[in-house]
Amino acid sequence: MVKNKKAAKKLKRKKTQQSILPAAETIKPLTDEKKFEKGKESPLIEIRTVRFDFIGKNKYWIILSTALIIAGIILFFIRGFNFGIDFLGGNLMEVKFKKEVSITELRKLMEETGYGKAILQSTDKDQYIIRTTPINEEQKDSILNKLDEEIGIEKPLVQDREVAAGFSKTITRNALIAVAISVVGILIYVWIRFAVRFAIVAIIELLHDVLIIFSFYIVTFREFNTTTIAVILTILGYSLSDAIVIFDRIREELRVNKRDSFPLIVNYSINKILVRSLSTTATTLFPVIVLLIIGNETLKDFAFGLFIGVLSGTFSSIFIGAPILIAWNNRFPKYKK
Amino acid sequence: MRSRLFNIIVIIVFVIILGVCFYYMYPFQSSIKLGLDLRGGTQIILKPIERGAEQVTSEAIDKAQFIILNRIDSLGISEPLVTRDFNNNIIVQLPGVDDPERAIDVIGKTAQLEFKILQSVDENENPVFGPTLLTGDKLVKAAAGYDSSGRIVVTMSFNDEGAQQFEKITSENVGQRLAIVLDDEMKSAPVIRQAISGGDAVIEGIPTLEEAKDIALVLQTGALPVNLEIQEVQTIGPTLGQDSLQQSILAGIIGFCLIAIFMLALFRGLGLISITGLLFYIVIFWGILAALETPITLPGIAGVVLTIGIAVDANILIFSRIKEEMIKGKSKSASFVEGFRNALKAIIDSNITTLITAAALYRFGTGPIRGFAVTLAIGIIISMFISLIFIRAILFMVVNSRAVTPRFIGVRIPKSSLVDSQGEVVGKK
Repeated sequence: MVKNKKAAKKLKRKKTQQSILPAAETIKPLTDEKKFEKGKESPLIEIRTVRFDFIGKNKYWIILSTALIIAGIILFFIRGFNFGIDFLGGNLMEVKFKKEVSITELRKLMEETGYGKAILQSTDKDQYIIRTTPINEEQKDSILNKLDEEIGIEKPLVQDREVAAGFSKTITRNALIAVAISVVGILIYVWIRFAVRFAIVAIIELLHDVLIIFSFYIVTFREFNTTTIAVILTILGYSLSDAIVIFDRIREELRVNKRDSFPLIVNYSINKILVRSLSTTATTLFPVIVLLIIGNETLKDFAFGLFIGVLSGTFSSIFIGAPILIAWNNRFPKYKK
Repeated sequence: MRSRLFNIIVIIVFVIILGVCFYYMYPFQSSIKLGLDLRGGTQIILKPIERGAEQVTSEAIDKAQFIILNRIDSLGISEPLVTRDFNNNIIVQLPGVDDPERAIDVIGKTAQLEFKILQSVDENENPVFGPTLLTGDKLVKAAAGYDSSGRIVVTMSFNDEGAQQFEKITSENVGQRLAIVLDDEMKSAPVIRQAISGGDAVIEGIPTLEEAKDIALVLQTGALPVNLEIQEVQTIGPTLGQDSLQQSILAGIIGFCLIAIFMLALFRGLGLISITGLLFYIVIFWGILAALETPITLPGIAGVVLTIGIAVDANILIFSRIKEEMIKGKSKSASFVEGFRNALKAIIDSNITTLITAAALYRFGTGPIRGFAVTLAIGIIISMFISLIFIRAILFMVVNSRAVTPRFIGVRIPKSSLVDSQGEVVGKK
């Protein structure tokens, strides 16, 4: 009991020092019956230390996230996605020239061939991606011959693609079907293992992450292609495990701690899981960041999406999922308010 | 805690698995099949379209796939892959082919050969035909060559049934013109002078020998039961693919080193166990990919990157729980057992939900997305296996060793701190 008093005193002092965190620390008698049975540990107090208050200052984080999504939506209506040819259809040639060439020179040559509107993108001083509307073999050859005469090109081409317009519809549709089915599967699984509200919150988190990735692609005008879809699917997996790990901690805490309020339990759980969350984010991001630095354009595109997505996935489980769970519980109490 | 013997057996089993994986990994250069986006080559996606009244059935597509494969084989392209996706599109992959024009020509030809009587020519000089009397499926042989007057021709031989029909047609229509129509284009229309027995016929009017060879080839391999529409042709040059691959491997190696340093810094001695686990993970992953002969693609690498994160995550979950229990002041072995038990649910739940996603992607995804789903699923299963069985065995083997101190695990309990009976540090003196 001496220790109990000491701790209580300690707590009182802390409370006056940090009035920002009013409900953040409590003392509670140890209620875990198993520990009693073992009799190894004396049933004293267990202090729930909360180092960071994730729930109180939460507004700002949600505002940040919402602002990003809104910016994305606005720009979506202004200029939309920078879709790759797998979505729009058309031809793409990546050409390595025999000498360095500036984009203006190349543009001029393209105008002479009658394809001045082609999208030109430099991948190296002597290497360009040329994107056109759908053209046939003869038209393609006429462009390549012209470029070969004037500058000289290395054969074979670095890449050469031709996509029928509307083909991506099937890819996108398939991806959507796949996502819809997995969402249903996840809903059911999380419902069984946790509770229906956890399942729905997990889905909301996923939705948030997808919207954030979309917004980043719109705002930075990065090319959106089928690889991007794979990236988004990857992030769904990542974000989901992140959400589940926190849910698991909350579930465990709810079982042993019958005394504290739900918001406190959530806050405590997040604090306990924080080191793990940040560590996992770091370890997942290491290879992604390296790719972002050393990779070629294709890899960078793909690493960029993963980078944003992993950050968003970690963020959403803490700052989006938790407050919704608390708000839900305030409206429809299932756990101690 | 299970017995020491059990743990030893687990470790021995793992060593055997590693040995098997090493066997599949060898030779390192070529054990894993690379997708076209990493090794260079051409991919053609074809959409089957119903022809007239004929429906696109699953059998028809199977047959088309088989015919396409035969045609590519005859072109002498090595290791072609003809697959089919969830939408019944036919995907043709030609590694190392950087000029696909001829391949596309040959693949796309329906090779619908028909013999009809030419009835008249309309005002636009379009031929008007009678009903189809004989089709190319009764053909047994077709070859390109020159005839006696030096013209390029394709000679054809029919089977017995075809030969009988041909004889009947020619005998009934002496004096008429017999049109030979390939893919709705009239190739020639010789006048039938007499009944022809024996079942040989000739296609004339072909400009080059190369084209004659292609026609002979498509006739030989049979007519496609469906029309095919090209959806996508993608050629990746050899340099781009290699660049992507090398950079991904380099990123993997550097990423691995960073993860290793991080784990050592955070968990000290336990980090070492985790690095061993991660190395095992890479070997087993590699071995399984090599054994399954699944080609790995760029999106597949995304899956690998993610699963390495997940594999490490399981370790982090377990180790932080062990640390937590130790800080509470529990004994070493109690902390290990409790830490494991507490982390178990989180690991299983998060991995199963990810597996659900992978399964849905595999079932309903197209080409590259499928590749991604496969690597994701394999990675998750291996990582669960390693974290929950192998690492557990190692941990429980070493837990009683004297070298395993709280410091070894990275737990620091400052002596000058006030620690309550639960081990929570409540403040300094």
